Amino acid sequence: MATEAMFIPESPEAALDLLSEHGRELLILGGGTAAMVLINEGAISPRLVMSLQRAGLNEVRAVDGHLEIGATASLARVAQLSALPLLADAARHIGGWAIRNMATLAGNLFVPPPAGDAAVALLALDAEVIAARKSGTRKLPLTKFFKGRAQTALGPDELVTRIDVPRPSGAAVFLKLGRRRMNTPAVVTAAVRVVRDGQGICVDARIALGAAGEYPLRATQAEAVLQGRKLDTPSITDAAAMAMQAAHPSSDALASEWYRRKMVGVCVRRALEAITR
Amino acid sequence: MQTVSFKLNGKPVAAVVGPVESLRDALREKLHVYSVKAGCGQGGCGSCTVLVSGDPIVSCLMPARVAEGLEIITLEGIGTPAQLHPLQQAFYDNFAAQCGFCTAGMITVAKALLDRNAHPTREEIVEALAGNLCRCTGYLPIISAVQDAATRMNRGG
Repeated sequence: MATEAMFIPESPEAALDLLSEHGRELLILGGGTAAMVLINEGAISPRLVMSLQRAGLNEVRAVDGHLEIGATASLARVAQLSALPLLADAARHIGGWAIRNMATLAGNLFVPPPAGDAAVALLALDAEVIAARKSGTRKLPLTKFFKGRAQTALGPDELVTRIDVPRPSGAAVFLKLGRRRMNTPAVVTAAVRVVRDGQGICVDARIALGAAGEYPLRATQAEAVLQGRKLDTPSITDAAAMAMQAAHPSSDALASEWYRRKMVGVCVRRALEAITR
Repeated sequence: MQTVSFKLNGKPVAAVVGPVESLRDALREKLHVYSVKAGCGQGGCGSCTVLVSGDPIVSCLMPARVAEGLEIITLEGIGTPAQLHPLQQAFYDNFAAQCGFCTAGMITVAKALLDRNAHPTREEIVEALAGNLCRCTGYLPIISAVQDAATRMNRGG
């Protein structure tokens, strides 16, 4: 079946009208860097397509202590966000320059592992997803967004319009292991953020993993194991071991499941060690 | 099929395209711009890179319809056989092309880099070109050519 129409709405309202009319029959393109690959290969042939490039959803605003990032803000722009160095670092690790100019932040939430590095950083930053439908919007934590491989909590008439990120506390590190230094999907990615008190005791921790399961996930037991402890060799070793238990990676052309699980431990250890320096 | 109009290398053009036809195919097959190479079709090789409002993008992943009203620059808009851009001369002098398939994309990205940063470090050149694959040269002459072009342009030649 050939594609019959491409809609290019010029406002968020127009996009939501189209979505409410066509629901799941409408394939949504942010920058197109994931879906156009499948269309070019003939792997998918959507009847209807909507590009959000002109929908006016690319604004980035600082609002009382948090950052509101429009769904279609490009990864190139996100890579320049000095208020969110962890997210900026993750964006810089995605694709090449041309891909980052096209790919969008919200689009990155919909690409299955081993892609989706920005989503990993957003998890470690307690980001919230703003989902809109014609009748109104709701806010859901990113931890409740992912439901399975390429499956989300969005209804058929819901659109991600914005991603809100609180001003991060603590120290954070993003690490990506790929098969090349740049422009590579992930063997494993880790985004780690630790808040410590004046004595160096961990009072809060986030350990988010990419390419370690069907979707970006948080290793909550690894986070818990750091609670009330200093970041030292024993606590870091424990957290890395718990993170390996949380990982349920897949095997693909880049890496085997076995290797990925090993590298989850290595990346979490290295990220936590980097925070102590 | 619908008509899309945009500026190509400074001149207004129009083409009749399918709903999800890529900008790459529209440029090659409708507008006969053959410096834009059809490589992987996955955004992975960079050989179809063009500049949109000065920013490099891979034209295989942009639906042509999305280019409505935009300013597109291809290699044809960077230099001509009679008047090579310093990057093209530097690629020639540094033996930075072998089969030539990646060359247009490489020069297009390098142009965008030098437009923003007249004195890039070697690492900055590598980062800028990371999305462009070359299967012949091993990259070293390409990186040297971009450095050489920057030096020439900074001297005013």
